Amino acid sequence: MRGIEVRLEGLSKHFGRVVALRSLDLEVRAGEMVAFLGPSGCGKTTTLLLVAGIYRPTTGAIYFGDRRVDGLHPRDRDVGMVFQSYALYPHLTLFENIAFPLRLKRRPEAEVRAKVSQTAELLGIGHVLDRRPGQVSGGQQQRAALARALVKEPQVLLLDEPLSNLDAQVRLQARAEIRRLQRDLGVTTILVTHDQAEALAMADRVAVFSTGEVQQYATPLELYQRPQNTFVAGFVGHPPMNVVRGRLEDGTFEADGWRCRVPRLSYRGEGYLGVRPEDLRVGGEVEARVLVAETLGREQLVTVRVGATELKLLAAQADGFAADSVVKLDIPPDRVHLFDAAGRRIG
Amino acid sequence: MPLLPVRWRWLVASGFLLCAPIVAGMAWLVLTALFDRVHGLVPAGPLAPENWAFVGSPSVGGRPPAVVALLNSVLFSFAVAAVAIVVASMAAYAISCLHFPGRSLYLAVVLVLHAFPAVSLLIAIFYILRVLGLFDTLVGVILVKTALELPLGIWLMKGFFDFLSWEMEMAALVDGMSRWGVFWKVALPMVRPGLLALGTFALLSAWGEFILPFTLIVSSRSWTLATYLQSFLTEAFTDFGMVAAVGLFYALPVLVLFGLGQRYLLNLYGGGVKG
Amino acid sequence: MEEATRAAVAARARERAWRGLWVPLLFLLPATLLVSLFYLLPVATTLYLSFTDISTVTFRNPQWVGWENYRDLVRDPFLGRILGNTARYVSLTLAFNIGVGLLLALLTSHVPERAGNPVRALWLLPRILPPVVYVLIWQGLTRESPFGLVSNVVGVSRNWITAEPWTVIVLANGMVGASFGMLLFTSAIRSIPADLFYAAAVDGATAWQTVRRVILPLLRWPLLFATAYQTLSLLTSFEYILLLTDGGPGFYTTTVWSLHAYKLALSNYFGNVQFGMGAAMAAVLVVVGVVVSVLYLRLFNFKALVGEPKIEVN
Repeated sequence: MRGIEVRLEGLSKHFGRVVALRSLDLEVRAGEMVAFLGPSGCGKTTTLLLVAGIYRPTTGAIYFGDRRVDGLHPRDRDVGMVFQSYALYPHLTLFENIAFPLRLKRRPEAEVRAKVSQTAELLGIGHVLDRRPGQVSGGQQQRAALARALVKEPQVLLLDEPLSNLDAQVRLQARAEIRRLQRDLGVTTILVTHDQAEALAMADRVAVFSTGEVQQYATPLELYQRPQNTFVAGFVGHPPMNVVRGRLEDGTFEADGWRCRVPRLSYRGEGYLGVRPEDLRVGGEVEARVLVAETLGREQLVTVRVGATELKLLAAQADGFAADSVVKLDIPPDRVHLFDAAGRRIG
Repeated sequence: MPLLPVRWRWLVASGFLLCAPIVAGMAWLVLTALFDRVHGLVPAGPLAPENWAFVGSPSVGGRPPAVVALLNSVLFSFAVAAVAIVVASMAAYAISCLHFPGRSLYLAVVLVLHAFPAVSLLIAIFYILRVLGLFDTLVGVILVKTALELPLGIWLMKGFFDFLSWEMEMAALVDGMSRWGVFWKVALPMVRPGLLALGTFALLSAWGEFILPFTLIVSSRSWTLATYLQSFLTEAFTDFGMVAAVGLFYALPVLVLFGLGQRYLLNLYGGGVKG
Repeated sequence: MEEATRAAVAARARERAWRGLWVPLLFLLPATLLVSLFYLLPVATTLYLSFTDISTVTFRNPQWVGWENYRDLVRDPFLGRILGNTARYVSLTLAFNIGVGLLLALLTSHVPERAGNPVRALWLLPRILPPVVYVLIWQGLTRESPFGLVSNVVGVSRNWITAEPWTVIVLANGMVGASFGMLLFTSAIRSIPADLFYAAAVDGATAWQTVRRVILPLLRWPLLFATAYQTLSLLTSFEYILLLTDGGPGFYTTTVWSLHAYKLALSNYFGNVQFGMGAAMAAVLVVVGVVVSVLYLRLFNFKALVGEPKIEVN
């Protein structure tokens, strides 16, 4: 099984007056795993259903390799898909569910049996194939759905929130398993999720969606280190980055009632300063009042007030933060992210 | 859960009173069919197997054999139920799950027809069947009865298709099916309760149907049990023993269904469906 | 949105509307055919026939007579009697249906399920029993002594169908129709939060006060619906009257509008059947039926019923 490149060109989708997706250009390399990440209603699932062929695009084109597919019926696209609800047919056994796409293609019965059991073994559900979906665990249902998608050896694998119905422990295990399987098979994969930990852990590259547009398309590390705008800055990372509105002058950032040093840039005027809670430290020159400290286990999340601004910082559990006490904050200039008045990254 | 502060014996008394006529009626039917003479609800004669002679008899008073009427009734009801199930499911699936212009208009028409009293069209239907050459044929009555069941059927099935999981359908499409295939292999198996409900409705309704065969069929060879039984009622001197036997014979499938599936029927008719 | 995009969107929408259209067409074809043939066409045919002199004699070659049938109808000396019968039939049966339906619903929701369900089920029986069998039972129960149960219980030997035709008609129809309201009201009563009853009990309400002040106000909509629905279906129904009394005894004693229309057009007792005249009477019902059922549509939240399908390919 060898993946194929997927290219979206000028893709948009309107539902009546509602614009679900506006002019999207994006390509997924052959064999790559890409995650579409964003809050609900951001256009990520719409895009996935466009790729699958369930929706017809309003404008734009979809290519699988050199083949233009946006006019094709889903059955002619050679994609495998796993749904949030798994969408297993309740009246069929797991075996029949997995065999379903092959039988539709009228493959010889011997081949069907061989492929189904091979795929089922690969996913560790070989022993429950004669049961119906309602008689197996959530994790097994999820594997069966994955097996059904993989058994026809698709060029493109589409995963729509495939893990969100699993409980936390099984989810971590399934995450690693899907990733390993996808690498071994080399199938081009698109994963839709609202869970950033899942996206960052599993995908080669992540497209962050908001309001029908891709905000940034980059590797997980790059998303974390160089968010392209305030939306990505605030959305990626947990706990989220502090983003403060203020004025940028030559080498300083001035907010309501306080200021700090930042790298020198040519940009001047209204803008935003972003700093991650884990980059804030005690021992600088910005005076802050502690509001509350929440224990997270190894660390604590401290909310402080600087001037009229609330900031969050991650600190070691050992550090004492008494409510209402005053601390000095260090905002390291080499760790801050600066954005212009429109929220775009500068520097 | 008692909702009201009412004394129990009042309840028991009024419940008994309200149900008494129905119980009495059923008892009368069974007793009269089995005994020679029944006074009120008290058998006044010996058991009378001769009441049931019509079953094997080739003809009672110039009527066709009861077996013919029975076969016609069976054919009529099952044909109506089968055609109604297929046709209504197809239309309901289209309204519920397919994109086409004029969808909401189509549903509006179905809804209006659902409330519309179809009996008032009987005169025109009589005329149309005459023109089509389907008057006095079982096929004609089957088509008419099926058509009259359709608004209810489409409405009922649409409710079931509306609750179908979209993801399931999407999965089937991605797996390589056409919408036609999805309908037969994925959608229909998943709305089995709906098919069963519609089937039960249509069977019961067609089995009891009287006005349509009475009006649209004249030849006695196409009589159903409804018209067969009715032909006894209009006689000057009714042999109630035999007629009750015919009636019990005719009502037996309904009574068996009632005995086995009271709860189911209650849910069915209680589901806000047409009565 | 730019002009070019908008044009493209419109073009795609048109294309989408027609592409793959044969699939829904195929699904809708049989239903559309049957419904057109036996619902829509008959509406038009009824109206058309009502303006012709069609009868047994002129069946093949009816002449257009304009409003003649309607004029005759208004001049008919028995019109008043038939209208009166219809009003009596509809109002009395309706009252029985709603009243007994409500009583049964209250009673059966008040007792445990195990007792309530059989009572409800029993009342379903008249509705699912074949009408001819049901009428046969009525005939048997209302015979003269010593056979008829009613005569034996009352102590007066009569054929009660001939003696009290209206009572029998209303009771027979009512016992079939009561289950409609019973089921509707039962589910409405069940959806009333139990807290309301506890509150009423704590406030010291008697049973009657609880019904009057708590249950009935909350059943306003189901009551209205059942009344509206059954009025329309009673107005056009005549099956049980036809079987019980055939409009008699005597002259038009129990003939209602729909039965009269039916007999004028389709019963051969008068030899030459006045088809056009019957059609004119039916046309009045058809028009009432169409208007009222279109009004029903407004009672439904129609928009919610036609949510767009999520799959765009056919």
